[in-house]
Amino acid sequence: MAERGEDLKSKDESFARDALRWMDDVYRFALSLTRDPSDAQDIVQETYLRAYRSWHTFQPGSDGRRWLFTICRNVFLRSRQQGRLEVEVSDGDAEAIAAAREHKAMIDDGSDRLLASVDLGPALDRALANLDEPFRSAVQLVDVEDQSYEAAAEILGVPIGTVRSRLFRARRQMQQVLAVHAKDAGLLTDSSGRHSHA
Amino acid sequence: MPDEIRSIDCRTAVSKLWDYLDQELDDARMREVQKHLENCSACLPHADFGQRFLHALNGARQRHLTPPAVRSQVMAALAADGFKQD
Repeated sequence: MAERGEDLKSKDESFARDALRWMDDVYRFALSLTRDPSDAQDIVQETYLRAYRSWHTFQPGSDGRRWLFTICRNVFLRSRQQGRLEVEVSDGDAEAIAAAREHKAMIDDGSDRLLASVDLGPALDRALANLDEPFRSAVQLVDVEDQSYEAAAEILGVPIGTVRSRLFRARRQMQQVLAVHAKDAGLLTDSSGRHSHA
Repeated sequence: MPDEIRSIDCRTAVSKLWDYLDQELDDARMREVQKHLENCSACLPHADFGQRFLHALNGARQRHLTPPAVRSQVMAALAADGFKQD
């Protein structure tokens, strides 16, 4: 009995150290999937319960956060009673070139200065929340949670090229939103450097 | 013999710009894009813009933390499942 008690204690210690520490990250990912704080709460709870119950399968030293993201996504998909989302294939290079055109338009009209001059947080949060799946998950994992393309592909169950094209398209869409935000907020400046209200 | 860095054109550089900013290219490709940006006044603003965009987006990590009520609920559920934290 004492030995089993030690095992459980060791399990709980490693779970606290390698899984619970990522709760903020899992919560953000769940929120990005559900777009609803109450649903996100349920997803996070179920994610951690599943993780705890299958903790014996976790390889010590491996990436706990990636493991939790994968469980979280599976919990979300099951909660929606849907299978994996359709994989659309587009050209990541073409998306990157199109994004550069967006850059240039923003540079030309001055809206790129928005990034350096104001707190972009609220506008970016809205832009991210308004992205459709599966684009939102790609941005959340790579741009917010600092996952590599390879890790995001594993978590999402799609090829790396798909992550790349989703990510680049999503970034381009978010830049379009930011450009509109800049114009709506009257943050563009005219050639004299004064604010204009285009 | 040191590896020579291949020259690339603007279209190639721009098509690899996000991969470059994400540090997802191999070393040779990273050096190619870096070299191009150092010598191209047209492409450099795109890289600067992309960098600022990604930096601002990554700030969401600090803006969204687990609400205390959610954390408490998760911990209570785990405790009901046998988890004990010292």
